[in-house]
Formats: sequence, C-alpha cells, structure tokens
Amino acid sequence: MSGHSAPDELLLDWATGALAPGLALAVALHVALEPVARRTAERLGDVAGALLEREAAADLDEDALDRTLARLGSVGIEPRPAPTPVRPGFEWAPPFLRPHLDLARDWRRVFGGFEEIRLALPHDRHRVSLLRLTPGRGLPMHRHVGAEFTVVLQGGYSDATGSYRVGDFAVGPGPEPHEPIADPGPPCIALIVLEEPIVLTSPWGRWLNPLVRRGLI
Amino acid sequence: MTPDEAADLVEAIAARQDRAAFAQLFRYWAPRIKAFLMRGGSDAEIAQEVAQEAMIRVWRKAASFDRRRASAATWIYAIARNKRIDLARRASRPAIETDDWLAVFATEEEDADKSVLAGQTYSRVKELLDDLSAEQLLVIRKAFFEDKTHSAIAHELGLPLGTVKSRIRLALSRLRERLEKDVR
Repeated sequence: MSGHSAPDELLLDWATGALAPGLALAVALHVALEPVARRTAERLGDVAGALLEREAAADLDEDALDRTLARLGSVGIEPRPAPTPVRPGFEWAPPFLRPHLDLARDWRRVFGGFEEIRLALPHDRHRVSLLRLTPGRGLPMHRHVGAEFTVVLQGGYSDATGSYRVGDFAVGPGPEPHEPIADPGPPCIALIVLEEPIVLTSPWGRWLNPLVRRGLI
Repeated sequence: MTPDEAADLVEAIAARQDRAAFAQLFRYWAPRIKAFLMRGGSDAEIAQEVAQEAMIRVWRKAASFDRRRASAATWIYAIARNKRIDLARRASRPAIETDDWLAVFATEEEDADKSVLAGQTYSRVKELLDDLSAEQLLVIRKAFFEDKTHSAIAHELGLPLGTVKSRIRLALSRLRERLEKDVR
C-alpha cells in the first residue's frame, strides 16, 4: 500500500485547470496511478458538473439554437483518437504520457549516476523531467530553493521523509537537504517538476551549482 | 436531466449525427454554460458566443465521450472550461485538452459496470452539495467557475491560506464520508 497523496487543494487546482502544464502533468499521473487521489479527482469532476447543472439557466437569444444547428453541417464528428503506440522500454508510461515520449528524447546520463529525459512543455518555465535511478543509487545530496513535485512511475525510492511507491506524490521536502535512494527491484522512474533549480550541498557537488542554475546539467 | 439521459443523447450524436439529440442537449446545457461563464465574469454577449462554441465542440467530440469515465455533466463542464480558458488566455497559454483531463479517470480495460456507478455517484454528489457550508461552497465554486488557484482565492477573499485549504479539505471529506455511508 502506498499512502502519499497530493493534498486536496492541489487536486482542486488541477481539476479547475489552474496549474501550469508540468505540474498538471505530475498531478494527472498521480491521479491515474493512485486510487485515493483518483477517487478524489472523480468526486471533484462530479462537483464541477453538478455546479454547472445547478446553475440557473441564463436567457439565450431566440435564434441561438437555429444558428448553431446551421453551423453543424460543416462540423464533422471526430473519431475517437487512437492511443499513441507504446514505445519499447516505456511500457510503464500511462497512455497520456506517451505523446511526450517521442523518439527524439532518450535517457541521458547526468552527473551523480542517474539518467534524465527532459520534457518540453509549452508555456512552462519549470524544469520537468523523468529521472531513472538504479536500485541502491540515489540523487546527490541537494536542497531546494523552490518547490519540488515528484510522482513515482516505476519502482520506488526512500529518503528521510519515507518510502515512495508507484503513484505516490511527494511535495518538496523544504529547505532541508535530502538524498533519495532507489529501492531494490526495477529501476526507479519518477517525474519531477522543479520550480527553481536545486542546490547541490555535497562538497564536490557545490562547484556544479552554477551549471545547474543555468540549466546546463 | 438524468446522467443516463444526457449520456444517451451524447452517444446518439456520436452514433448517427442525431441533430434532435443535439438540440435537446443544447436547450438544457447552453443556458447553463452561459450562466456559468457570466458568473466567471464574462459579459452576456461573449458568454452566449462561448456557450455556442462549447456546444459545437460537444458535437465534434461526441465520439470521445465515455460514460464509464465521467458523467456527461462533468464532460460538458470540461469542454466549457476549456473554451473559457481559450478565450481568456488566447495569447498566453494553449488550452488543456479535455480528453487529457478525463483520460486519467479510467483506462480502456475497465469494466462497463462503472458507467452505472459513475452516473449514480454524480447524482448523489449533486444532492450532497446542499450539505456543504456556504463558506465551503463559495471557495469551491470560485475555483471551478473562475479558474483560480486556491492561493489566488485566499488572496482575493482576504483569508489566510490555511483557512482556504481547510475549507477545501472539509468539503471533500464531508462528500467522501457521506458517499461511504451510502455504500454501507
């Protein structure tokens, strides 16, 4: 069993469409993979529909329906979109993540021994990445300036705040440095959204900080 | 309009381009979408225009509707919301695809029985909104109707962030609690 859910208010922000694309993607993955968050999201969907349905009907122009019907002649009904095929090696990705995993992007080794695929989301200045960690390996000790949002997609990891499994959601651990380590089993894959660059805190990591800040690594 | 009636009408459009079904949906939902948009701050003329555009999208996307995933009301809300976001932020941000929003609710292989359940739960939630306090409802309505984050709402209402968070959490636990009681 997991148990790391996103807070209700973040699920609400997601359901109303108010989040930036990267964070919205992270919450969507969490909702797709974690049953408790899924149920809350479904209830929020019900609430949204019910609020709309309970609105008192506003007056429309008398000819509004006729004008709309007249336009339908030129509007085809789109077939249900076919799901994007699964790219080999990416079977863990839920269907709506697949369009982001085109062949142009592949795992890239980063300092500290983990691999990264950076996702390009339009209109989002956050760093949105998939990270892959071999069991027993971890991210270098670092701390955060801005918020960090993590959702686990395969395997799991542990740090001082607990153990995280598939579907679990973690909101940045705050100003304390942390050092997540991948659990035994398949490699840990997670989507991470960073509002600000991290700050490496180990003695050898510190000299990399200028590059991290400039987004070069 | 019951969830089943609404879902049948959307499916009739998908199956046979049923214009009578569309007209029925339009008469019921377009005035509500217009009211929803006006509550979010649109003027009457723009609200009517966007409501019509939203209904045309209901027609165009009818084949993507899946009653196992969500009620027709929820699906129509999502379409109306995206049309409003399009309008408000045309320059700054592309619309979130409605399909993405609802795609996470159910995977293809989930069983068909879920459709009955989805409709029933929706109807029950609609009733249960009366159980929420006026303060809770205010925050949630603002979020859904004005496309604001909970922190923007806190700022606008001049309330501490913690107060807004706890209203949201209390409202949702109330819904969850009552729904669980129904099941037992």
